[in-house]
Amino acid sequence: MKGRYADENIKWIPALIGLVILLPFMLKGITFSYKYYLYILNTIGIYLILTVGLDILSGYTGLISLGHAGFMAIGAYTSAILVDQVGLPFGFSLVLSPIIAGCFGFIIGFPALRVSGMYLGLTTMGFGFIIRRLIIALREWTQGSGGLAVSSPKLFGYTFNGDWANYFLVWTLAILSIVASRRMMKSKVGRAFMAIRDSEQAAEASGINLAQYKMMSFFISGVFAGLAGVLMAHTNHFISTDHFDNMLSIYFIIMVLVGGIGSIYGAVLGTIFIVLLENLIVPVIEEWLHVLFQIEAGDIESLIFGLIMFLFIIFQPTGLYGMWLKIRIYWKLFPFNPKQRFT
Amino acid sequence: MKHMIKSMIAILCVTMIGCGSGAKSPGVTDAEVVIGTTSDLSGPAKELGALITGGEQMYINHINSQGGVHGRKIKLLVEDAQYNPQKTVVAVKKLIEKEQVFSLFAILGTSPTEAIRSLLVENEIPLIAPESQSGTMSDLSRPGSKYIFSTEVGYNRQGEIMVNWIMNQNPDATIGVIYQDDDYGENALEGLKNAEEKHGISIQKESFQRGTTDFTGQVGNVMKGGCDYVLIAAIVKEPIIIMKTAAAMGYKPQFMGFGPTMDHRVGLAAGKAGEGFISANGAYMWNSDHPSAVEYRELCNQYEVPEKMRGMYHFYGVTAAKVLVEGLTRAGENLSRTGLIKGMESIKDWDETNLPPITWGPNDRQGSDQAMLIQIKNGKQIPIAGWMK
Repeated sequence: MKGRYADENIKWIPALIGLVILLPFMLKGITFSYKYYLYILNTIGIYLILTVGLDILSGYTGLISLGHAGFMAIGAYTSAILVDQVGLPFGFSLVLSPIIAGCFGFIIGFPALRVSGMYLGLTTMGFGFIIRRLIIALREWTQGSGGLAVSSPKLFGYTFNGDWANYFLVWTLAILSIVASRRMMKSKVGRAFMAIRDSEQAAEASGINLAQYKMMSFFISGVFAGLAGVLMAHTNHFISTDHFDNMLSIYFIIMVLVGGIGSIYGAVLGTIFIVLLENLIVPVIEEWLHVLFQIEAGDIESLIFGLIMFLFIIFQPTGLYGMWLKIRIYWKLFPFNPKQRFT
Repeated sequence: MKHMIKSMIAILCVTMIGCGSGAKSPGVTDAEVVIGTTSDLSGPAKELGALITGGEQMYINHINSQGGVHGRKIKLLVEDAQYNPQKTVVAVKKLIEKEQVFSLFAILGTSPTEAIRSLLVENEIPLIAPESQSGTMSDLSRPGSKYIFSTEVGYNRQGEIMVNWIMNQNPDATIGVIYQDDDYGENALEGLKNAEEKHGISIQKESFQRGTTDFTGQVGNVMKGGCDYVLIAAIVKEPIIIMKTAAAMGYKPQFMGFGPTMDHRVGLAAGKAGEGFISANGAYMWNSDHPSAVEYRELCNQYEVPEKMRGMYHFYGVTAAKVLVEGLTRAGENLSRTGLIKGMESIKDWDETNLPPITWGPNDRQGSDQAMLIQIKNGKQIPIAGWMK
């Protein structure tokens, strides 16, 4: 049966999962600084869970969020408090904290029923700011802006300590997230999301409950972001409000856009590309520039980052589309969304 | 597929054989010792970061030109972490795992330093002179504190010292504080809480968010509360605005600021409103007559440091580098991380920097716990009280 992704070859997926499992062993064989690369891979895995969720919201349902770092913060702080202060087991918190983050998504879903495009972007961005202030205000549990130390993840009596163990925890959940979101987007729910993105009126006319599905989309996206937050808190052992600034939310949007909006694999590729670009490629270019032209490294990083992304977007039409739309009025003129404001 | 699995298994086997780490301390050869630091070269504190790192580099170059420490040249690797805790963790991982640095040095910022505590514990790597005045650095109840050697007096201690001074001057004083609602303000409040308990007083607290430019509400509140002394836990811009706002409202308490407000620009920009402003300071000023300051200015001339770079923050970098060199010297010829920690712990009443005499010990990670007070008189910063504990 050939569906939307007719050219998709399912056979290489088990091989890819095998590669994910063997990658740390390969790295250990190749380089003595494998822990550093593992850490970067863990970061990719954590961000990937979030961007997949963001793609469900933005790519599939057509709702912009510039506050996803806020959901991540909720997941991270909730889990830190539940495990270290309330004393719940990590496994329980791993399920509960994302759901709490999802509930916040549900709440944010209410304004999403009334506002759209740019205004929704601003609303969600405001949400990001509110969450940061809230964390500072709830000093009793969060230790304010001083930051919170977090324990290592413990599952079934095993403590995940260090990058090696964390890698398997993070990537198991990352693969599960990808599979779950792919299944979901192929189900009735996913089709409803896409119908809303393409035309709200047509979707409503076809019997889709707009309010219900939009809020469900925010809830699902919040759950993914919360899960990413839980993993980030427990694998990094320290969280503070500075970890979840609004630039991070923009960063996630860029990952989704560069990868290609409206496709789960796009979000995955975008995340891998951006994180590797930042951590592995930019430093090399910086060094070359430093050797060749004697330019100080710090001043050049954002320039290279922008330039490479610029080039990438030129040769990647979907990414270009998304970027262009982001600069204009986000989702309003989205080609799949014929809702015209200027007619 | 089968072929792929076979090749993977082959790689796996190579892995098992090829892995093993040497017993020698990482980052140390007979000719060189590699030290890693993170600074802010392109983020919100880049002005400050570039100056501090410039100062460190200048002093290290100076030591290297004299033959280094125990015949080893110091190589300083600088990573740009943009004052961001997450980026700092990545940068420090890179320094430890990839660049194999011997020791960490002068990580810039409080929350970036807090974020790497678990890495310090995991790798048993010392961190010399973090660029943060937060009292949490030397708090031994926190994980990894035994690897951190903090130099300057913490904000919490500064707060206590200022309140003690006020209570000495005027036992009936009413005190208020306007603080930045972040990790800095948090630590300052902690000290004030101790002071409240000690003197049995209550301090009126008004907070503001980082980046605020309007302080009418906060100043109005401390005015309503009848505060004679108002402490300011902020950076440079805020005390200027606060004092000008108060002057415009006809309210004239004694304003006092924490360490970061010590910048000479506060007096310059606040003008008449800033006259009499007192700030706590954990070190001799760069333009004072203290031998270390004289030496600093000579070094600046020798290495032709541009005039605009010289000042409090550049000098701060030099001081940090001096501490590092002293630690490396005391660690002995056979460098090891535990040796460096022992070397640092052996520093007692050491008085060669612009800081008050520094002491560390097996259970003491706070180099100096003293501060002096500096007042703006006729636009100039004059010390009014010597070192206080």
